[in-house]
Amino acid sequence: MIRPLAWVALIVGGYFLPPLLGGATLIYNTLVVIAIFAVMAYGQDIVLSDLGEVSLAHTAFFATGAYAAGILAVEYGWGAWATLAASCAAALVLAVILGLITLRAREFAFSLVTYAANVVCYTICYNWNALGGSDGFVGVPPLDLSVPGLRLTALSNKDLWPYAYGLLVLTLYFVSRFRRSKLGHAALMVHMNAPLATMSGLDPGKVRLLVFMVSAPLTALGGWLYAYQRAYVGPDLFETYFLVLMLTAVVLIGRRVLSGPLIGISVLMVQKSYLSFGAYFDKIVLGVVLVLVLCVFPGGVSGVLAAGWRRVRA
Amino acid sequence: MKRRSMMRTLGLAMAVLAGPVTALAADPIKVGMLFPQSGGAGDDGQRVTQAVRVMTDLINQKGGVLGRPLQLVVLDDESTPAVGVAKANDLIGQGVAVVIEGYNSPVTLAIQPVLARAGIMDITILSKADGILASASNPLAVRMNSSNGMDAAAAADWLMKTVKAKRIAFASQNDAYGNGAQAGVEAELKKAGWAYEIATQQGFSFTSTDFRVAVTAIKDSKADAVMVTNSSASSGMPAFLQQYHQQQVNIPLIAAVGTVSPQVLEVAGAAANGVVSADIYFADVEPFASIPTNKEFVAALKKDGKVIADKFTALGAGALQVWAIAANQAKSLEKEKVAATIRGHTIPGTIFGDATFAANGQLQARYFPMVVKDGKIVVQP
Repeated sequence: MIRPLAWVALIVGGYFLPPLLGGATLIYNTLVVIAIFAVMAYGQDIVLSDLGEVSLAHTAFFATGAYAAGILAVEYGWGAWATLAASCAAALVLAVILGLITLRAREFAFSLVTYAANVVCYTICYNWNALGGSDGFVGVPPLDLSVPGLRLTALSNKDLWPYAYGLLVLTLYFVSRFRRSKLGHAALMVHMNAPLATMSGLDPGKVRLLVFMVSAPLTALGGWLYAYQRAYVGPDLFETYFLVLMLTAVVLIGRRVLSGPLIGISVLMVQKSYLSFGAYFDKIVLGVVLVLVLCVFPGGVSGVLAAGWRRVRA
Repeated sequence: MKRRSMMRTLGLAMAVLAGPVTALAADPIKVGMLFPQSGGAGDDGQRVTQAVRVMTDLINQKGGVLGRPLQLVVLDDESTPAVGVAKANDLIGQGVAVVIEGYNSPVTLAIQPVLARAGIMDITILSKADGILASASNPLAVRMNSSNGMDAAAAADWLMKTVKAKRIAFASQNDAYGNGAQAGVEAELKKAGWAYEIATQQGFSFTSTDFRVAVTAIKDSKADAVMVTNSSASSGMPAFLQQYHQQQVNIPLIAAVGTVSPQVLEVAGAAANGVVSADIYFADVEPFASIPTNKEFVAALKKDGKVIADKFTALGAGALQVWAIAANQAKSLEKEKVAATIRGHTIPGTIFGDATFAANGQLQARYFPMVVKDGKIVVQP
């Protein structure tokens, strides 16, 4: 009983974080972007932490979610609920295609194929006028999730906070449930010992495909909300900026840590908003942190803390 | 004694009451400057920013805007739309009255809706994509630099009348700006009924510095003329000109309007000789040379000693100046009022003389053809 109550208190407390931190516009801006990018990173987290593969196609899923929202809202006047469904569906279709292509690819080959897929998607979007070409789509309307009798719109980042936060909480719940699900256990077994998984009656290919299909709409949801937040979608969504962001967020704290991507994204975004030393220095810091984490502390910050705790107890 | 004490108390009370009023009147107006300060465009961005700083001082020396001094808040958009959006939100949070922005078209397209939603006035300095003034999400846009459509007429004129080019090679930056520039030129050629064919089409990114494959293809294409569109003054355009020169491509080369700056010549050196282009501002050429405000601006830059007066720096400083004059005329900082004063009207006494803006917010410019001789820009009569 205490644990659920603690979770409820944490969730409610999190919601009131912006006013508790002063309620300045920059606070809302930063926290909304943290929530959106964290949702984006959780899709990558599932593939990286649970399946043990580095997907470089998740930028494409992120962009797919944003493009679906942007195109359908700007060109066809679809409402936000409809674009939400379309974003997930489009990412799911792309995930099935990519998942089938990469069914037998592992590690380096898997990463290379997913990278190639991202480049193909980027090139298509950049050069095909139906997808906005290099200009993209300007003028995505403000988020409007109104239902009969209830007005739910968001013009500013302050208005957007409840939706971004709600999406983040649902994502956290979803990822936590996934890790306790049959598919989550199967993914881990395929990751840790594929022959044993096969001997246990699992089809590694099928498991990998399903995990890919679960992770893609999650990242696409981040893209969907991002399109409404910044009112513009364009080919820059495929840039390595987002890829580096989600990969760093996952490895910084450590794999299979539920709060890991959220904390990772928070650290990166807070540094960018409040402790920036200029673009050049920020990139150097990010690069050094990545090298340190990957080479010296492969278990991430949580690994270092756990080792320290074990030493203290010993 | 009692009376003196009363007077003292009254005086103190008045001082306390007057204090905040005086402080409020002198409260600075924050002006956001969202421009690249790093990366390939960082050098250009820093130069333009310095010119805007100098203009800020000039405006402040003359009493500021509505009697308040201007305070410049500079943020780096890193030539990345996502970063630009985050920084635009940052500026909104800091309570800026206007944002001077726009080096890359994709960044401008991304940040404009964000600023428009917040009701913040923005003036685009350089970004040329046609969508910037046509977007419903930013109905009160204002732009200083000439548009792709306007530039296209000048380039097409040279291709048809001077070179009489029937086979044209295009080397275009593959983005909203570069593709738009080429599309504009082709539209002008078609409008004039000029029969031409594309000898070769070479695309590259804004950050490209290796054009050897593209230049080889152009050389082999047997084109009558080459049109290059590359907005990277600090690296891309000088690199293209050097590689074009090294491979001894003896095909007349026209550079898109505004892409051959003194900075390009400084880096490209002799490789730029013979390049033809056009531009909308030259500090020491008439009519600009005689405009008092321009002379004052050029002198202030010289005194500052950090950057020279060229089109980029003049457009940046001019953007702030136009906004300041318009805000003083409108007696307001409100976006709607200031934009209404600029769009479709003439703002007197700017670096560009009396600056006339079209109803869509586009500054109307005159083109000056130019050619590079002995490493220097020679403006054609």
